[in-house]
Amino acid sequence: MNSNKRPMAHRVFGWFDDRLPISSLWRSQLTRYPAPKNFNLWYFFGSLAMLVLVMQLATGLFLAIHYQPNPHLAYWSVLRGIQRDSHWGWLIRDMHIVGASAFFLLVYLHMYRGILYGSFKKPRELLWLIGIFIYLALAAEAFLGYLLPWGQMSYWGSAVVTNFVTAVPVIGKPIATWLRGSFVVDLPTLNRFFVFHVFLMPLLLLALVLVHLIALHHVGSNNPDGVEIHDSVNESGWPRDGIPFHPYYTVKDLFGVSVFFVVFFWFVFYNPSGWGFLLDKLNYTPANILHTPADIHPLWFFLPFYAILRGVPNKAYGIMAFAGTFALFACLPLLDRNPVRSIRYRSVLCKANILMMALSFLWLGFIAHGFATEHNMVYGLHVAEVFYATFLVLPFFNRQRSTRAKVIWLVVAEALVWLIDVWMYSIHAHGWGLMLLTDWIPALYLLLIFGLAIVFPGLARDAQKLPERLTAGGVFH
Amino acid sequence: MAVLSIGKDCTKPIRRDQAMTTKKSPFGRPGALAALAASLAVFTCGAARASVASTQPPLKPITVNLQDKAALRNGALYVLHMCVACHSLQGARYSSLPRMLGLSESAFKQVIGTNGHHYHDTITTSMPPAIIDAFAKIPPPDLTDIARRHSPAWLFTYLTSFYVDPSRPNGVNNVVFNNVAMPDVFAPLQGLQKPRMVEGLRYGSPAKVAIGVEPLTKGSMTPAQFDRTARDIVEFLYAVAHPHQQERARLGPWIIGLFVVLSILTYLLYKLYWRRVDTSEERWWRVGR
Repeated sequence: MNSNKRPMAHRVFGWFDDRLPISSLWRSQLTRYPAPKNFNLWYFFGSLAMLVLVMQLATGLFLAIHYQPNPHLAYWSVLRGIQRDSHWGWLIRDMHIVGASAFFLLVYLHMYRGILYGSFKKPRELLWLIGIFIYLALAAEAFLGYLLPWGQMSYWGSAVVTNFVTAVPVIGKPIATWLRGSFVVDLPTLNRFFVFHVFLMPLLLLALVLVHLIALHHVGSNNPDGVEIHDSVNESGWPRDGIPFHPYYTVKDLFGVSVFFVVFFWFVFYNPSGWGFLLDKLNYTPANILHTPADIHPLWFFLPFYAILRGVPNKAYGIMAFAGTFALFACLPLLDRNPVRSIRYRSVLCKANILMMALSFLWLGFIAHGFATEHNMVYGLHVAEVFYATFLVLPFFNRQRSTRAKVIWLVVAEALVWLIDVWMYSIHAHGWGLMLLTDWIPALYLLLIFGLAIVFPGLARDAQKLPERLTAGGVFH
Repeated sequence: MAVLSIGKDCTKPIRRDQAMTTKKSPFGRPGALAALAASLAVFTCGAARASVASTQPPLKPITVNLQDKAALRNGALYVLHMCVACHSLQGARYSSLPRMLGLSESAFKQVIGTNGHHYHDTITTSMPPAIIDAFAKIPPPDLTDIARRHSPAWLFTYLTSFYVDPSRPNGVNNVVFNNVAMPDVFAPLQGLQKPRMVEGLRYGSPAKVAIGVEPLTKGSMTPAQFDRTARDIVEFLYAVAHPHQQERARLGPWIIGLFVVLSILTYLLYKLYWRRVDTSEERWWRVGR
């Protein structure tokens, strides 16, 4: 090959390409990466979450330039320096605020997609687990960043969460002091939260997202049918139901990005505090160490966890139940071992259970949005039992169960629910009258799931015939 | 475009704890079974409304119009000459106000003035720190973002609803802000007021609750004049708390419109590309080369 006859641009690119795997990566990861052709609406959220991550990094860069991590300066450096004195500071900050909520919304939808279509099952267990770590890093990032404006809710939210570790006996308090660098949330806390928020966690997030992508491209994408596209390949080894990621999915994601930005910028321009959900109204008051707000609650994306935390009438157990939620997510590949991946071909009761998983999560958030009355705490705990149950009954659906096994599942599950109430009564947490007001919720749920499985075995039976190839695709399928 | 209807707020509860019904749970421990049966019937949303409730006084509706520059100027006069005696607005600068008020820099300096501060200074309180310490202990809240913290309807009701309460150190209380520390600085203008009390709930316990006020003595303004003044103050505070409202209203439609157009174009592009996907399965894998 006579390289002198090639155009200059090709020769320059060739020089780089010989020394860096640009075109080979482009080919293997984009133009020759086979993606199933039937991705639907649920498959937009992963790439959108990556877009929001980049947007948060970009807007965060400008915010960090103007921000002062010092309790005397922080509040006004945000509300005057950034919002009013800097050119476009208000736009950058509102994009960062709305971006944080958008990130969580997209990640929750992305996770639920994985649950719907069994994307956590073999061989994608590690992919799912890395995703859970991304979610944890994101939660930490959001929590750390929330302190920085140094408003009332920032301050007291951080005070509550850094007090979690005091639940550990004996060494809890010294650890909390060490974490905060002070006996209360103060200058050292703000300084380290700032550094973690702008440096450590973003780095960790980027690294985890990269590993997540590498793992994804190693095992290949799942799809709404849960069919392994590599099981049916043509004579040149290309999956019959696969299409190159680029240009097909890049062009499709462009459409998703455009629609997303319509909604995103509506919030940024017209509703930046999102009815008080995206930014708490109390945060327009500077932090005051002498004035504890009557109601300290997290932003919307942590509300379900908050309901679980305050539902348990014991600090250590409450934190265990709260952390247990993440353990449940992480253990999903162990709990659901049914070989059928997609919800499309699961039994009716399993479909209902997976729907209830999302509904009870929203329900928890709704309860946590209410004032911390004794009733709302018990109510939250009982709905948390439903949320836990939606995960813990998954092994029940792993295979066909005999009637005797179903009855045992029912009795054991109901007994567990009632035992928790007996324990609460025994430690004088609540009276029976208050507990019975909502205790029927988990009891009824378990009765419905197992009872219907006993009476109508057909409802617990997965589809008899699974597709060998993909069914239809498109945006709204 | 900048006219914002806030009137709806009067029907909406401001705080969740105040929004709940005043019904108390009638179920004691012996009534457990009855409770179970009843709760099944009412379903859980109804059951969620339990006992930490406070009686909610109605808020006076208000419409904020940022184009009404005369009202904003009147509000600015009151805030910058009266409120800043104790409060600060240190998020804002004097130099940020003329444009909002529709005044030139020299006219602003002449008509409203900068209280002896530099034109580009932030709006600080005139109260010296030593006085704050001796008189108020806790500095009165900064007013820069007070209209973000509270709705305009709440602020309007707050400003007009001080009433005589001899049990308080300053002799006054407020309908929407129980046990408020602020003295009734409007008494010379508005006159004193007496409360309209009802038997209600405060954080779940029965209590006498003020839900409105009635005039007690005459002030230098008629009630209509004073309401107008209070409204101007709220409008000015709202404008200070939302300094970029006009830019938002101007830019928003363009940016959102851009992405609406892009959505349509990218949808067409997506359909154009994907026409090939549903043809013979042997063809689409080669396209990527």
